[in-house]
Amino acid sequence: MSRLRNLLRADWLGLLLLVLGGSAALAVVRPEFLTPYNIDVILVSFCLTVVYALGQGVIIAIGHMNLALGAIGCLVAIAFGGAMEVWHLPIWLAAVFGLLLGTICGFINGWLTWRSGLTSFIITLATLSIFKGTALGITQAQPFYRIPDAVKAFGSVRWGPLPAMLLLALPIVIATGIFLARMIPGRQMLAYGGNPNAAELSGISRARVVLLAHTLSGVLAAVAGMMTVARLQNATPAIGDEWLIASFAAPVIGGAVLTGGHLSVVGTCLGVLVVALINQALVMLAVDPFYVQVLLGLLILGAVGLNRLREARLGTTAPVRLS
Amino acid sequence: MSDTFLEVRGASKAFVGVQALDGVDLAVGSGQIHALLGENGAGKSTLIKILTGVHQPDAGTVRLRGVPVAFRTPRDAISAGIGAVHQERNLITRFSIAENITLESPPSWLGLFDADAAARATRRWLNLLALEIDPATPVARLSVAQMQLVEIAKALSLESRILVLDEPTSSLTPHETARLFAVLRRLAGDGVGILFVSHKLEEVFDLCSHVTVLRDGRNACGSRPLAGMTRADVVRLMIGREEASFTAPPAPARAAAPALELRSVSTTFGHCDLSLRAYAGEVLGLYGLVGAGRSELARAVIGVAGITAGEVLIDGRPAAIRNVTQAVRRFGLGYVSEDRKGEGLILQHSVAANIAATVWHRLRRVLGFVSDAMQAATAAPFVRALDIRTPSLAQRAGNLSGGNQQKVSVAKWLVAGSRILFIDEPTVGIDIRSKADLHDLVLRLARQGTAVIVISSDMPELVALSDRIAVMKGFRIVDTFDNTRDYGQASQRIMHAIHG
Repeated sequence: MSRLRNLLRADWLGLLLLVLGGSAALAVVRPEFLTPYNIDVILVSFCLTVVYALGQGVIIAIGHMNLALGAIGCLVAIAFGGAMEVWHLPIWLAAVFGLLLGTICGFINGWLTWRSGLTSFIITLATLSIFKGTALGITQAQPFYRIPDAVKAFGSVRWGPLPAMLLLALPIVIATGIFLARMIPGRQMLAYGGNPNAAELSGISRARVVLLAHTLSGVLAAVAGMMTVARLQNATPAIGDEWLIASFAAPVIGGAVLTGGHLSVVGTCLGVLVVALINQALVMLAVDPFYVQVLLGLLILGAVGLNRLREARLGTTAPVRLS
Repeated sequence: MSDTFLEVRGASKAFVGVQALDGVDLAVGSGQIHALLGENGAGKSTLIKILTGVHQPDAGTVRLRGVPVAFRTPRDAISAGIGAVHQERNLITRFSIAENITLESPPSWLGLFDADAAARATRRWLNLLALEIDPATPVARLSVAQMQLVEIAKALSLESRILVLDEPTSSLTPHETARLFAVLRRLAGDGVGILFVSHKLEEVFDLCSHVTVLRDGRNACGSRPLAGMTRADVVRLMIGREEASFTAPPAPARAAAPALELRSVSTTFGHCDLSLRAYAGEVLGLYGLVGAGRSELARAVIGVAGITAGEVLIDGRPAAIRNVTQAVRRFGLGYVSEDRKGEGLILQHSVAANIAATVWHRLRRVLGFVSDAMQAATAAPFVRALDIRTPSLAQRAGNLSGGNQQKVSVAKWLVAGSRILFIDEPTVGIDIRSKADLHDLVLRLARQGTAVIVISSDMPELVALSDRIAVMKGFRIVDTFDNTRDYGQASQRIMHAIHG
């Protein structure tokens, strides 16, 4: 019984209904919505977006933000492509190299934020420019095209409606969910995001939390960057350019609080799905793609408004009385 | 003292230009409940922050059982066996009670947080404080008093040999306080040393055996037994002179119509069928425990929340208050928030800007500009009248002392011409010297024709100030009576109204 009540209280239930209802409505209006090809398109978009959305999510969890997320993804993507094309590294080694680079970029963000005591907004705004500039400088804005077939296959193979990339995206989603909900470092990140002073007075190290969150964010951006290379079949320095809005939109639609302390992984997934569905719906209904952005903006505003309402209600719920 | 547990000798600490502590000594024995007293700014918090590893002293030593220690982080202090309840709330509101209490060392299984083990470990400490709530409840759902008890449980759960409690009872009912004291006495019996900070001297005399008083960052007395000392002795040590006795001038004759009258008012906050009268020239005291709905009532009346039923009359005429702007400008209502720093003042702005903020719409002249000179001219008379101690009108409000900040919050409303003024917890966190000053100010305001409604949880303060007292409980008024300023009589009637 209480399990059911908890489920009903979960902040993502409304979203789930929205996703299901929206899909059903779309399937009625446009029966081709349910073709395996079409579902695959939505799922591929989900796989890519959810990874970098979680990359932003772990930063939002501690009340910071990572504007350099897309720039890290871009730098890693071209490093990954370049390592295979120019240095002829085997795929696995190039992937390790990419992950390492993402880890370092994230660590730099964290270290600078921690040492300087400045907000992550300004730090990552600066590193955004540095990482992106480096990527553009190295490539002279030209993509690496000679991507090994195995990588290309990972980005294009599907079994019925299910893309191969789910094999990477799903474990990442599950791991991030368990990490934040149950593992001690994840709980410490949320504790710090919820109340930094209280967390520090409880012996939680600020340095550790900030470094950990930013490094994780770098790693997730790296994975998303390399997945995008597989999908696009080339490594272009344009990768990551359009990540910023969706990376904030999905967690926020999923109920995350920008001041930190709360991130729902299930909610983020549904937020990503909502964004993907809307994109797809507008394509199928032949709406001008430029207006998709307008709708996304409105959606963020709506989601933030809803979150505020929920917070307000949580704040004024009648307290449990003492015996 | 041979069994001295915790010893501080010659501790000094300076912050940009301010010597917060200057060679302070403190010795807490095993099993001793030791009071640490002093006015705001005397250095208590700094000393506590040194003991808990938040600050490092510039000079001096801290010894535990004779061994010198140097805490670089709060974690060091915790592992050395010093637990603390800080004055500020330090809970993660989205986390459960159990997870908050076990935050220092969460029980885990294969790296995963073990919620059941945490709940089991927690229940014992909650029982000890008679807090019968499921440990899985998120802290956000608790009342303020419950949160304070959870913080105390959290400190107890560390099973520290030294327990530092900074104003632990500020939100508790007398009943909860008594329960806490019983637990503290038992701990002391087991040999725990307790350092107890409180503004409520009654509590100190009830609980503590020794006292250290700080004044201006120095010892006014060091580790003296409390036995044989009187309240007056302690106050003299704290403020360096006698406590000023306080007599209220008589109230003027009542006007025919109350300045503010509520008739069977209900609000969206949950007040129900509530009636109240406040007269010009008088102080109406609104007493109630935390959570009784007093601040909410003030907020509803000034238009923050909706009034769903009943009538609000101002000077005998019905007033439909739709929003705060209208309440302030048209009906002359004002509200001095209990949260001075959060809601009352803009700390980065100047004293003049803070005071003039409520009348910017009147100051705005040419092309909508508000000049510093105009603000200063508006603020200056009030700064003088209220005796606000500030080097200049351009001083940032955040740099003033608590008492002076409070006066700035009051001045704001006087500038706006408030004739009905709610003052919420006028002296919370304000030292004894400024307290008397503020009491004086509140009464002066009233006698000059303002209807003042004081909300306070400090019963002696309320009884000294109020001409009439209304007692609130559970979002209703349970009793209203004329106050003779006889503490014994009034306090009995109030307690009877709440608990009887």
